[in-house]
Amino acid sequence: MKMNFKEIKRHVMTGISFMVPVVVGAGLCQALGVILGGPNIADQTGTFIYFIYKAGNMAMGTMIIPVIAAAIAYSIADRPGIAPGLVVGLVSAEVKAGFLGGILGAFFVGWLVNLMKKHIKLPKTMQGLMPILIIPFFASLISGVVMFTVLGVPIAAFMKAFTDFIASLSSGSKFVYGAVMSAGSAFDFGGPVNKTVSLYTTGMLADGILQPKACHMVACMIPPMGVLVAWALSKIFHKPIWTNDEKENLKACGPMGICMITECVIPLAMNDLWRVVVSSVIGGSIAGGLCMMWDVQSPVAHGGWFVIPSFTHADKFVIALILGSLIMGTVLFLLKRRLSEEQVINGSDYDPNENQEAADVNIEF
Amino acid sequence: MRIVGITACPTGIAHTYITKQKIVEAAKECGFPCHIETQGTIGVEDELTAQQIAEADVVILAVDVKISGENRFAGKPIVRCRTEDVMRNTVGFLKKIEAKLNSRK
Repeated sequence: MKMNFKEIKRHVMTGISFMVPVVVGAGLCQALGVILGGPNIADQTGTFIYFIYKAGNMAMGTMIIPVIAAAIAYSIADRPGIAPGLVVGLVSAEVKAGFLGGILGAFFVGWLVNLMKKHIKLPKTMQGLMPILIIPFFASLISGVVMFTVLGVPIAAFMKAFTDFIASLSSGSKFVYGAVMSAGSAFDFGGPVNKTVSLYTTGMLADGILQPKACHMVACMIPPMGVLVAWALSKIFHKPIWTNDEKENLKACGPMGICMITECVIPLAMNDLWRVVVSSVIGGSIAGGLCMMWDVQSPVAHGGWFVIPSFTHADKFVIALILGSLIMGTVLFLLKRRLSEEQVINGSDYDPNENQEAADVNIEF
Repeated sequence: MRIVGITACPTGIAHTYITKQKIVEAAKECGFPCHIETQGTIGVEDELTAQQIAEADVVILAVDVKISGENRFAGKPIVRCRTEDVMRNTVGFLKKIEAKLNSRK
């Protein structure tokens, strides 16, 4: 099976897009349970809040890896990939190969199912057996056993080594680790780099390592807050830096930033790419480094301000968030050019269509 | 040039719709009739009709993830790309497609 990087990425991205709602739904249930029931919620069996907590907790514990594995296998091999994908994901979780094992296992499943579709030739009368019996049974059997015996072992060893490595980091290297990760999150406002970090941190979350997600979240929440800080500074110091169009966009950044929808900064970044990106990366990475150093842990994958109470060291998270936003806002304010009155009304002279080469076009006839 | 297309991004809440808007605006600027279906997290919206597809000269699939219903476009010229390819310079992108289509005729 030949697969280029672009295709691999598309399959992984499909996996993420199916996994995210599971993580969000289950994570929020779990977080709500902890907020309402307190830290020992797991022992309060039978209470209403326990049910909320447990529903989310079970899904977080068992479902995330199977879902991403199934979705990746689906992306590669279409519907027949789903059932064996779920199996390989569950096995991966069982042998502690975690998230990484689930992804690699899913590629194996996709490859295997495609192989079976191509090479198993049945008489016409029996072709109905392929999707209903032969592929599900043999693909599940083979991929399940392979994950238990061959694939899972080295990945589990690698995951353990990696987990131990993070636990062993000194606070200085923790800062660097958090800062580098968050720089990625703050780099392109929900674009491919941000999504890669999101994938990684969500994977860590599924494996019970909660710090990276906090770093990612703080760096996602800072850009919308940072541009608002820059706006406030431009008011205070009477230096016009935003056009009227941009001010419309800024209005959306308040509510969207609160919900951790970092994409709202894209229109502003498109107009003035390097200034916005540089300031965002500076603010985001400092805050992310602090979060990692202070051991802030996020049990959920998304949710913005609403889920902060469920964090371990929530107070320190808030400090990092405010600090990062102020830093980004100040840097951006200082970097931004002062606009003339015409520019404020008509937009800065930047026209993305004139300056940028259109992407290459390939047409399949 | 009549355009139909699908946009879909990994998260399915932002780039999917930004890309659609970009294509629709650019197509309007160039005078191309255009129908774009979105496949976001919420599911399929603005689903393309069989007639729209039949009348189209080209299909633009600006997708970062697997989409459903690709078989509807069998036999049509298909441009496959990432959402970010379209967003960079949409008018230029559409013009390039038109040029390639014309050069084949």
